[in-house]
Amino acid sequence: MANTNESGGEGPRLLEHEYDGIREYDNPMPRWWLLTFAGTVIFSVVYLFNVGPVGNGKGRVADYEAEMAAAAALVPTPAGVDPAQLLALADDAGAVGDGQQVYASYCASCHGPDGGGLIGPNLADNVWIHGGAPEAVYKTIAEGVLAKGMPPWEKSLKPEQMTNVTAYVLSLQGTTPTNPKAPEGEPYTP
Amino acid sequence: MSATALPSTGAVSSAQLESFSYDDAVVRKFLWATFIWGLVGMLVGLIVALQLANPIFNTSLEWLSFGRLRPLHTNAVIFAFAGNAFFCGAYYSTQRLLKARMYSDFLSSFHFWGWQAIIVAAALTLPLGFTQAKEYAELEWPIDIAIAVVWVAFGVNFVGTMIKRRERHLYVALWFYIASIVTVAILHIFNNLSIPAGLFKSYSIYAGVQDAFMQWWYGHNAVAFFLTTPFLGLMYYFMPKAADGPVFSYKLSILHFWSLVFLYIWAGPHHLHYTALPEWASTVGMLFSVMLWAPSWGGMINGLLTLRGAWHKVAEDPILKFFVVAITAYGMSTFEGPLLSIKSVNALAHYTDWIIAHVHTGALGWNGFLTFGMVYWLLPRLFQTPVYSKRLMELHFWIASFGILLYVVAIYSAGVTQGLMWRAFDVTGRLAYPDFVETVVRLLPMYWLRVVGGSMYIVGMLLFGWNIFMTWRRRPATYVVPVITAPALEKKYIPEPEYGGAPAPVGLWGRFASATWHRKWERMPITFTVLTVIAVVVASLFEILPTFLIKSNVPTIASVKPYTPLELAGRDMYIAEGCFNCHSQMIRPFRHETERFGEYSKPGESVYEHPFLWGSRRIGPDLARIGGKYPHLWHVRHFEEPTSITARSIMPAYPHFLTKTINFEQIQSRVDAMAMLGVPYGDAVNSAPAMARAQAAEIAAEIERQGGPSGLSDKQIVAMVAYMQRLGMDLRTPASTVGMTQ
Repeated sequence: MANTNESGGEGPRLLEHEYDGIREYDNPMPRWWLLTFAGTVIFSVVYLFNVGPVGNGKGRVADYEAEMAAAAALVPTPAGVDPAQLLALADDAGAVGDGQQVYASYCASCHGPDGGGLIGPNLADNVWIHGGAPEAVYKTIAEGVLAKGMPPWEKSLKPEQMTNVTAYVLSLQGTTPTNPKAPEGEPYTP
Repeated sequence: MSATALPSTGAVSSAQLESFSYDDAVVRKFLWATFIWGLVGMLVGLIVALQLANPIFNTSLEWLSFGRLRPLHTNAVIFAFAGNAFFCGAYYSTQRLLKARMYSDFLSSFHFWGWQAIIVAAALTLPLGFTQAKEYAELEWPIDIAIAVVWVAFGVNFVGTMIKRRERHLYVALWFYIASIVTVAILHIFNNLSIPAGLFKSYSIYAGVQDAFMQWWYGHNAVAFFLTTPFLGLMYYFMPKAADGPVFSYKLSILHFWSLVFLYIWAGPHHLHYTALPEWASTVGMLFSVMLWAPSWGGMINGLLTLRGAWHKVAEDPILKFFVVAITAYGMSTFEGPLLSIKSVNALAHYTDWIIAHVHTGALGWNGFLTFGMVYWLLPRLFQTPVYSKRLMELHFWIASFGILLYVVAIYSAGVTQGLMWRAFDVTGRLAYPDFVETVVRLLPMYWLRVVGGSMYIVGMLLFGWNIFMTWRRRPATYVVPVITAPALEKKYIPEPEYGGAPAPVGLWGRFASATWHRKWERMPITFTVLTVIAVVVASLFEILPTFLIKSNVPTIASVKPYTPLELAGRDMYIAEGCFNCHSQMIRPFRHETERFGEYSKPGESVYEHPFLWGSRRIGPDLARIGGKYPHLWHVRHFEEPTSITARSIMPAYPHFLTKTINFEQIQSRVDAMAMLGVPYGDAVNSAPAMARAQAAEIAAEIERQGGPSGLSDKQIVAMVAYMQRLGMDLRTPASTVGMTQ
């Protein structure tokens, strides 16, 4: 194609063609740009043959399983709860106070702000669907009851939050909620 | 403003001179449409930003909730604002670059009015809940057909103009226009293929993994060929015009154009990293995105270096300031794009506000500022009077620049905060923020900052409109229509002197590097168009064919069954309300996700998902395994008033679900359409309404038994509850262990 060299060999060459007054230089492509482009292509080829299904990489499922295995090794299995300790906590104002905050955040939407029951059952009466013993209440909170729509909480709440909220629920026994739901389940007497 | 015309080269000297004029009336129309729809789109953006900052802005009108307005915002700014801006600049520059009036004034007019009618249709149907649930392809099938027709009219008009051109060679701006026009047509048609199930209801012919693949093949390339290549074309015309200097490098134009067009089309799967998409596709998407970095920057270099020796002009000329910021924003977002496509980066950024910040750097900076600069440059030429106020232009520039800065800094912070909070574990091995709403309310101050930044941008938009209006008011009584004379193209091409009379380059490489071969393509517009189509289609097929043909991509799961008719009706409500705009249904294989939401999603779970509803954003929690997690009554109360369950929730309330009735008879047509797509519906093909009524009665009785309101058996809420309670349940049934291959 036709090139002109406007200023006698100095500076970039201006191509002769023009479109509605627009002209173009015949500058070479910047070297750093070409090297960047080549670099990304080389990276891609290398990556393709080292990672993922094409090469010898392990893949996302294997990575996930490794992540889970590493986590399982780190997290200690929670110790069992002691019913006597739970009953003692139910009389401990500090523990009950903390439990009340946990209750307000996570439980009140279904069991009512004062435990009178709403979507979930009344917690203030002495009638229980899944047992009213301290360890049974703890178990229901920890593991949930999937069939009834009670979520398990042990993965979300910290161990002391678990025991404290159990203590708070136990402390609701004998209180009189403003709008109690009808009793459901079996009576429990300690 | 324009450079001095050169004496024409020998090729055309002997041809007969022809007289003609350019059609600027249609350009003026597109200019007005650009401003008006831009303002509308941005105001809807402000409303949705407010809705996220405080849910009271969802109002009690069901048509104005976030899920319905968010698609209106994205469609309006992409297709109405950026679309009209592209047409405005393309109609102006194409005629001049080809020295020809548009091929058909009728087609120009049809294109303009057809496009505006489509926008109005979108603005009406999206709030009404008519949506295909595919991002940036939400519009329902009748509108999709209209888009295809209008787009083809545009294409015919454009190609016709190229054929009757009086300029032998095609300038680089036109290459980008060609690529945009043909590729958008291909993307639009193949992503929107669907089976109608009513006037404003259809189901994608693809399901699950394949639908996700097609959608993001489309979605990513809508960004590429609707927001990038058209605007690069505009840049190549208006930047050298405004700077009054030559483009930096012709050879760079060639290499970055072809590499961009060829590589872009592969990159879509990076929107689906760690999802149920086959891993090979995800890897290919990442690598082609990384390779796109340099081709994208080729455009930035050619734009910015066109200012070499002219930087002093930028200080005085607000138009050049707009262009410089636009091109810089383009450079930043096309560096960030490859970065975000790297799997490990994407693991943090996906589903977060980071992506929102990324696209707004592009939309507000690149598309917005290039449009503003272009329109300001066009104003005196189209309205034939000086621009009303240069000071207002300066003010617009500065207020909008700081608006963008405030917007993106706030939303980048929100995105990273959110991503880090989701994945944080405490020392006991539990999620540090198990309550999803904690990760939402932490962002609210940033959402308010976005409202401020976005408002500043809109104030700039108002100054823009005022300047356009006042300039228009000072227009002459009648516009002067200059008569142009130019020689017609000779039938036979008389070659220009090869290599400018310089010695011919040596060897094969020398001849290749001289780009003479490309010069030849530039004088063959149809060949050029065909080559562009080949580049795009071949690259697409390399990914599409394996995705559809390799069975092992989607291992089947025996326990996965079609939705019941009532669940399907609930799913249609989920789609109509735009729930997928805030809730994903795709759990990635990460410990923090499986701890939070349950087992990661498998490809085989989505085989009946027409369309797929994996989502791209988690403003609320993932719902892939929400089924059975809560009692029916929980959902009833939560839809009626989300804050009654989660005090700080920002979800809109849906009390009308409890009062509006289900159209049971309509469910039959929905089931039939699904059955046509191969979903094994069995008995439901004959008795969908009866089956739905029976299930609705069961759910309503259970809600009442749980202490909820009575008389819900024909209300929409039971369909929604049915759908919610089904999600993820296929893998929980005992049979799930039998047919699992993964």
